[in-house]
Order: sequence, then C-alpha cells, then structure tokens
Amino acid sequence: MKPIGEPYRFHGASKYVLDDELAKIVNVSMALEMPLLLKGEPGTGKTMLAYAIAESLAMPLIVLNVKSSMKLLDALYQYDTLTRLNDSRFGDSKRDVSNIEEYIRMGKIGQAFVSDCRTVLLIDEIDKADTDFQDDMLDVLDQMQFDIMEIDKTVTAKNRPVIIITSNAKKDLSDPFLGRCNFHHIAFPDPEMMRMILNVHFPDLSEELARASLLTFYRLREFRGIEKKPATRELINWVRALQSDPDFVVKTLENGEIPYLGVLFKKSLDLNLALQQAGRARK
Amino acid sequence: MFVQFFYMLRERGVPVTPTSFLRLQKALSLGVIGSIDDFYTAARSILVKSERYFDTYDQVFAHYFRGATILEMEDVELTDIAKALLEEWLKHPQEMAEALGLDEEQLSRYTPEELIRYFLDRLKEQKEAHHGGNRWIGTGGTSPVGHSGDHPGGMRVGGTSRNKSAVKVAMERRYRDYSQEGPLTEIQMSEALKRLRRMIPHGPRDVVNVDKTIYETMRNGGEISIVFDRRLSDRLKVILMIDNGGWSMDPYIGIVQTLFNYARSQFKDLKIYYFHNTLYSSIWLDPQRHLRPEAIEEFTRRDPETRLIIVGDAAMAPYELTGANAAIYVGQKESRTSEERLKFLARTFRHAVWLNPQPESSWGYTWTIGAIWKIFPMFELTLDGLEKAVQHLMKRH
Repeated sequence: MKPIGEPYRFHGASKYVLDDELAKIVNVSMALEMPLLLKGEPGTGKTMLAYAIAESLAMPLIVLNVKSSMKLLDALYQYDTLTRLNDSRFGDSKRDVSNIEEYIRMGKIGQAFVSDCRTVLLIDEIDKADTDFQDDMLDVLDQMQFDIMEIDKTVTAKNRPVIIITSNAKKDLSDPFLGRCNFHHIAFPDPEMMRMILNVHFPDLSEELARASLLTFYRLREFRGIEKKPATRELINWVRALQSDPDFVVKTLENGEIPYLGVLFKKSLDLNLALQQAGRARK
Repeated sequence: MFVQFFYMLRERGVPVTPTSFLRLQKALSLGVIGSIDDFYTAARSILVKSERYFDTYDQVFAHYFRGATILEMEDVELTDIAKALLEEWLKHPQEMAEALGLDEEQLSRYTPEELIRYFLDRLKEQKEAHHGGNRWIGTGGTSPVGHSGDHPGGMRVGGTSRNKSAVKVAMERRYRDYSQEGPLTEIQMSEALKRLRRMIPHGPRDVVNVDKTIYETMRNGGEISIVFDRRLSDRLKVILMIDNGGWSMDPYIGIVQTLFNYARSQFKDLKIYYFHNTLYSSIWLDPQRHLRPEAIEEFTRRDPETRLIIVGDAAMAPYELTGANAAIYVGQKESRTSEERLKFLARTFRHAVWLNPQPESSWGYTWTIGAIWKIFPMFELTLDGLEKAVQHLMKRH
C-alpha cells in the first residue's frame, strides 16, 4: 500500500454537520475518482453536502440543476446561432463571425471541464431527467471528455471535478448508471444529530427551547397521513420563527401548543391533518 | 481479498458486480481504507447501490466479520394476508365465526361487504390503535392522502451512530425498514406518468423558431426576419374511471387515492367518473354513484384523442359482464350487456388502458379479468405497470 498522499481531504464545513460515515465515503469517492450518488429524503442535506465539500476543499462549486426537459447537450455546450446571425448581419461586435468557436458557450459540465482549477460539480436531482440523459451523461463523466460537433473539437477535462449527484426519487436509477457511481443513502438525522445541526445554525439557542422544539418536531414527524413531512429546512425556519416572536415562551410548546404550523407543513392538506392531530394531542 | 464476502453478498441477493468489486480492491490498494470501520462504509458505498440492500449488507457484514447468524425473513404485507385469509374463511363460515369471536348465526346476518369491513377493522385495531378514516376518495373531506395505513409505522428514522465499531453498527441493522418495498407514492407516480402529456402550440407567439428564422432571413437576402412560434404546452385530456364500489377494491384504497391525487394535481383537463365493478348504461360523476349519472353514449361527443384510464380489479361475477339485464342494482334497466358497453368505450377512445391493482400473476384465476383484458389493454397498478400503460397511451395508432 502506498502512503496516503492525497492533497484533498474532506473534513466538514462551517455550516454543515457531517457525520463520520459520510466523510469517509466522500474521501473514498474522491480517491477512486468516482461520482458520488446521494439519495435520501428531501431535507437530509444532500445538496448542502456539495456546498460544504466545495467550501472545505476551497474549490469553486458548479451547480447543474437538472430539469425534466433537459438535453445532455444543454449541460455540455450551446451553439449560440442567434448571436452569430445577428453579428453576421450587423457586424458591430468584436467576434469573428467566421469562427464558430466564438459562439460556443459552455454548459455547466463544460464549465467544470475547462476550469483552470479543480471544481466541485453538483448535479442536482438527476432523477428528474430521463434515463437516456442519465446514461449519456455518465459516459461523458467517465471519459472526462466530449465533442463539440459544430467545430469538430474535443473538450477534455483539465482537472477531474469532484462530482456529487443527488436524487430524491425512491425509484431506482438504471443499473449502468448505478454501476458507475458510489452510492450513499442519507438517513434522516436522529435527534442528537439534529441538535448539532441546530447548534450550528443557532449558536445562541437556549437549551430548553432546543429540547422542546426538537421534541415537538419529531412528534410532528410521526403524524399519520402527512405527505410531505417537515424536514431539516422546515425545522430551522420554524425555530427562527419561534425565536423572533417576542410573545413566544417555551412553556407553550411544553403545553402541547404548536405555533406557526404553517412553517412546518407546506401543503394545505398536510396542514389540516396536522392541525387536527395536534389538537387531539392537546386534549 | 474478501472474495468470499463478495460471493456471500451475491448469494443473499445483493446485486454486486465484479466491476464494483475490483473497484473496492483499488480503493484498498490506494490506502484510503485504514480500518474495518472504513471498510464497512467504503465497501458499502462502492458495492451496494440501493438503500434497499443496506440491511442485507449489514447482515452479511456482521456474519462475515463476527459470525452473527443471518435471519431468514419473509415480509408479507398485511393486505395479502387479509385477502388470503378471507378467501379461505369464506369457504368455512364456522371457522371464521370462531376467529372473529362471533357465533355463526350472527355471522350469517352480515353481508359479505360488512364482514370484510369488520374483519379489516379488527386487523387494523391490532396494528394501529388510532387508524384514521378508511374512506373512499371524494366521500369525505379528510381522506388519508397517499399514506398507507397498511404499512404500520412507516419508514423508521435511521439514525447515524457514532463511536461504535462497524460490526456493532452493522448488527444494529439500521436499514431494516428500507429493505421492504413501500407503497407507491405520489412522487413515484409522477415519475411514471410524467410522459403522459400532449404538447400542442398554445398562447402568444413568443418563442423564436431558429430554423425558420434562418430560412426566412436567407430568403430576405440577409435582412433579418425573425419568426416566432407559439409555446408548446400540455393539452392532454384525460378521463379517469374508478371502481369505488364493493369490498373487493378495499385493499387498494390507498394506492388508488394516490393515483387520484396525482391525476387531479397534474392533468389540466381531467374528468373523473365512478362505477361499481363494471360499466352499464351510465357512469357517475359523484363518488356515491347516485346523484350525477352520465350516459355512456354521451362519450361519443368527447374528443377521441382523450386518454381513458379505467381503474378497477375487474373481478366480479361473470353474469355481471355478460348478462343483458345484469346490473347489480335494482331499478337499473339495461338494454345491452356490460361487455358491449366496454367494447363501445374501447372503440370510442383509441387510447385507453385498464389499470388493475391486483398483481398480474393472479389475473388468470378470475374469468372476468380475462374477458376485460381482451377488450382493454390491462396493466398492473405498480410503477412498472404504470410505465407500460403510459407507453401504450402515448403510442401513435
């Protein structure tokens, strides 16, 4: 075995609470130069992880937000025909109209490839795209190069980006796709972990408020029939709301009353259900 | 290294590939794995590609590194048990009476419908004390949306443990709850139904058509002439017909509700109708199937491009389908058989499917399913089946 000579090691960033397991997986994926696929309930910090990695490795972050209508080409490059047409007609720009390369714009993946320093490339919510997009994209990421057809040129990555891919869906991605990624499933944080997350976001949070709000929060997550359960983001917003309300006292929570339910439940059906069940709990 | 571990995973049904195993070897040789704890996490992220296998992985890991025994575990869903038991019990009323704590005479006063409800209620009481309403869609304001009461407890919150050895962590089996397939959720539905759309130019002309612009500019001798198009938007018309009658559809309430909710939020032009078992001369707009009937003949006036989706278990007595005056409701006079009505609908709408919540493997056992299957293409109400159904609906005939 050769000594660990890796220049980049990931330890966690200022606003993101990272557990050991995840840190190890990130490090292994970086060493193997493989994309890391993160799955998990919404609100478990999949997207935040990429931000944290970028911050702690001091690399620029490039985010590709996948949309259902997206073509792979959009993520690689774009040939700006309209500008070229305009330039050829009016000729008042400094661009050379006969040189097509000047009208090629890099997409997000392209940007990560041509960047002069190593970057973190976050491909967010890959499950929105269709399977063709997913497979083709991994081909590109595997080979670290793609062709620009219009000018017959191959773009090769100067630096292999650190690739993080996130997926919300419970539906499995295709086998070839999975085969080329490292996989991790982020479980919903347990109360202890959540406490640490709260501490990071609210350094001056009082002990009793933290305890009471977490207790209520995890009780709310147990409610039946809720379609979109409140997650970390909702909890943080909720605690912020509680803190900023001058009339709020921790006693309220202990009495079973829950102010600002609307911050926690975003769908009207969910909110109604939660109101009913919260009301029942109080009696 | 760890070849046996690899094969043990395969034997236990975790789909590990040789490539990923070689990758694990590479990780080992790179020196990024320094301890058994590192090995546990690294090997899992490299070898196992779905959280559904995390539990099996934990078991194999614990077994391999500590010799813990692997449990044989078969999870059978409550609904399946209930169905099987009922079918058995309906043949032996006496046994059933004993099991439910009623005497046979009392039992005979119940209609099958009441019996099933009683039975399901009893089952649920045992599982969850405060199970909410088990109402059909549309009949009550507070139907339990998309969440299945048949899967008690739901998904457990898997915590992240610290300061524990990997074997101990593995033996905790934190991912046990992820190992079973949950009910179909709305997110999954949207995944499958996403392609069910029909793009038609609509609205103001505000999108540049590059090809035409270039062509027109050339024709103009280089004078730029920009051509605008209408934006494409989804104009798909959908008719959803739901079998909401009788107890045979009861186990599928949750899943049909999910479909219903998704359809209502997704399709702009959606009509929902209700029927019981099969279609006769009319079909209802209200879930009680009482107030607002609509004649089947009326459907000829609809756009034939409308997608028709019928949801039902297609299980009934054969005469309901083939008898000329077979409607199970008194006072409903019929001139044609239900079979003819169904054929009429299939002719009217070229794009039609029947979604059956029963597993495909059981379709062969019910005669009426086979008969309807011949009229409408039938698909299972699962992710897989939905995808196939969508493919069929979007096919150009």
